Amino acid sequence: MSYEMWTEKYRPKSLDAIINQKEIVDRLQSFVKAKNVPHCIFAGPPGTGKTTAALCLAKDMYGKGYREHLMELNASDERGIKIVRETVKTFARTRSIGEIPFKILILDEADNMTSDAQQALRRTMERFTETCRFIMIANYSGKIIEPLQSRCAPFRFSYMSQEDQDRYLRHIIEEENVKILDEGYDAIFEVSEGDLRKATNALQAAASMGKVIDAEIVYSVIGRANPADVNEMIKTAMKGDFLGARKKLREMILKYGVAGSDIIKQIHTEIFRSMLPDSWKVTLSEAIGEIDFRLVQGADVEVQLSALLARMTEAGQELSRGG
Amino acid sequence: MSTTWTQKHKPQTLNEIVGNKDAKQQFITWLKSWSKGIPKKRAAFLHGSPGVGKTVTVETLAKELKMELVEKNASDYRTADAIKRFAGLASQYSTLFGGNRLILLDEVDGIAGKEDRGGVRELTEVLKTTRSPVVLTANDAYNPRFSTIRKYCLIIPFKKPTVRETVSHLKRICIKEGIAADEEALKFIAERSGRDVRSAVNDLQALAQGKKRLVIEDVKWLAGRDRKEIIFDVMRTILYSKDSWEAKKAVSNADVDPDMLFNWIYENTPYHITDPHDLVKAMDYLALADIYRKRIRDTQYWSLLRYVVDFMSSGVAVSRQRTKSSGWIPFRFPEKIRLLSRTKGERALQFAIGMKVRRKCHMSATRSAKEVLPYLKIIFENNPEMAAGLSNWLDLDEDMIEYLAGNKKQTKTIVAKLA
Repeated sequence: MSYEMWTEKYRPKSLDAIINQKEIVDRLQSFVKAKNVPHCIFAGPPGTGKTTAALCLAKDMYGKGYREHLMELNASDERGIKIVRETVKTFARTRSIGEIPFKILILDEADNMTSDAQQALRRTMERFTETCRFIMIANYSGKIIEPLQSRCAPFRFSYMSQEDQDRYLRHIIEEENVKILDEGYDAIFEVSEGDLRKATNALQAAASMGKVIDAEIVYSVIGRANPADVNEMIKTAMKGDFLGARKKLREMILKYGVAGSDIIKQIHTEIFRSMLPDSWKVTLSEAIGEIDFRLVQGADVEVQLSALLARMTEAGQELSRGG
Repeated sequence: MSTTWTQKHKPQTLNEIVGNKDAKQQFITWLKSWSKGIPKKRAAFLHGSPGVGKTVTVETLAKELKMELVEKNASDYRTADAIKRFAGLASQYSTLFGGNRLILLDEVDGIAGKEDRGGVRELTEVLKTTRSPVVLTANDAYNPRFSTIRKYCLIIPFKKPTVRETVSHLKRICIKEGIAADEEALKFIAERSGRDVRSAVNDLQALAQGKKRLVIEDVKWLAGRDRKEIIFDVMRTILYSKDSWEAKKAVSNADVDPDMLFNWIYENTPYHITDPHDLVKAMDYLALADIYRKRIRDTQYWSLLRYVVDFMSSGVAVSRQRTKSSGWIPFRFPEKIRLLSRTKGERALQFAIGMKVRRKCHMSATRSAKEVLPYLKIIFENNPEMAAGLSNWLDLDEDMIEYLAGNKKQTKTIVAKLA
């Protein structure tokens, strides 16, 4: 029996098959028809079909042998300026053989590129427009420097509608013969927050257990896949156990590789969701903001967040004293 | 928690004392000879470098022979007067209860400075006439200051135990503490201590207390006793001196890598500064020091280092306001460095799997490792069939499969299905 990751198995193979982002798909199809593509930026939250749209565009454009005309680069793995100088240039400057005179270069997770590398890309893009078109994919277009933005046609991907997600997931459930209760299905929706890749991965992992999927299975799968239990860490600190909280923080960062920005974002949310008196929420928020800024500047994640944990330990003590 | 391992794991029998077989035998023979009457040499002079087991040999043997041990330390024989005070003891044959008495003058190195020349004369008198065995210990019996005393003593040299002997002692402690320690790690500690058993045990405690396993990475940083001593001294000053200037000076004078020192302070501060209010201050200063470290990295402006030093020394020192001191707390090796080196292999494997996923799933290896790998783990642990299929599809090797499956048995089941 053969298996793939369902995210790939059920990834649309052509623009027709993309169920959402109607306006975007329409325009991309018009590019295919005209056999011409401008440089593009695809921006939007994860799991909304950016990469899929770019791949489908290339497939529809070049047909079967599309791989020869396409290069996928990932800025998170190769974010330096060197990659732009060498790999990108080599690929971009040679002319494509065939009906369409240019190739397509997909630069995924482009918001992770250093600004130096982005600057270097500027020239390359201009010089080799004849032979290569760039599709830059990013969560936030804001992290792409202005000069690049102005050279690209922007496409903004939004979260999928409930119906579209439903259609996609139902199709997989049917094809794969997955046994799932309504509560399990609802849970997948709830935890994936509009990220279809996450939903699909969670569904496959839950299905692999070989039981009828209920809500509990889904939560346990997601719980294991998201070790950043920020809430638990905050509770530990508030109880006065700073060392315990720091240990949890360390595990998140070093063992599971959770990003500092993700942790602090969650801390911020949790603090405002908590039962703390408003004055404390504001006090802590002030500290959170400062530390968030420091992290952006590149300070050490663990050291900075530990300082925040110490504040929470203090807040916990003051509160238990009725302060 | 607050007892040192040198105390807790002190040898209970003569056999447990490592090394110096000949010296121990010589000492036993001499001590036993007292039962047949006063021997020619009424005192024994055990000498050798620190931490080779001189004092503990005396203590243990006294216990085994059921002798009453009267221990005197430096302050008791600094002056002639002080010596006269216990000389009386030595003039008696035995204790009231009929047991034999053994008088130990520990660490006599300090005696016979200029101000108490009379002391030596007085001590010589005691050694000549004592009716109970007297034992002296010192690092070097051949120091000229002992020339008069030496004549009346049986000189017993203690040698440093071999590395192997030191390791066997450390091993015994590890077993008692429930620590699985690698031979290599213990050997490293033994060598670095310069075969000073006491110092080796202290190092072992600092490095291994509270752990289940001790590997070479845990101890590698210990690149010499001096360096560790420097770090510990600096930390003692920072965490316990109220004087911020002194704390700052300690850091500035310490010839150790500031980053290393920062990690040590960051690791240990919350164990010693426990009041939440104080801790906030201390951690804030450390966070500030970290900011300046970052600024130095960015600008290569090394003159900014002085602020890093200020915050991590004086800053932490002045934070201690309400915290009460609570006994002896051992210093800990920075967990961060340990975790980084321990998870290095794991992270490399995660990335390698990420690269495999990337080839198939159109996302970066970095993100794959973070976002796809946890789901793969769940699948590999639960569904060998699907796992085998995915292994083929992703082209995973056996190491990767084992990492995802979590154990050997499941790995075998999956691999069996691969064909």
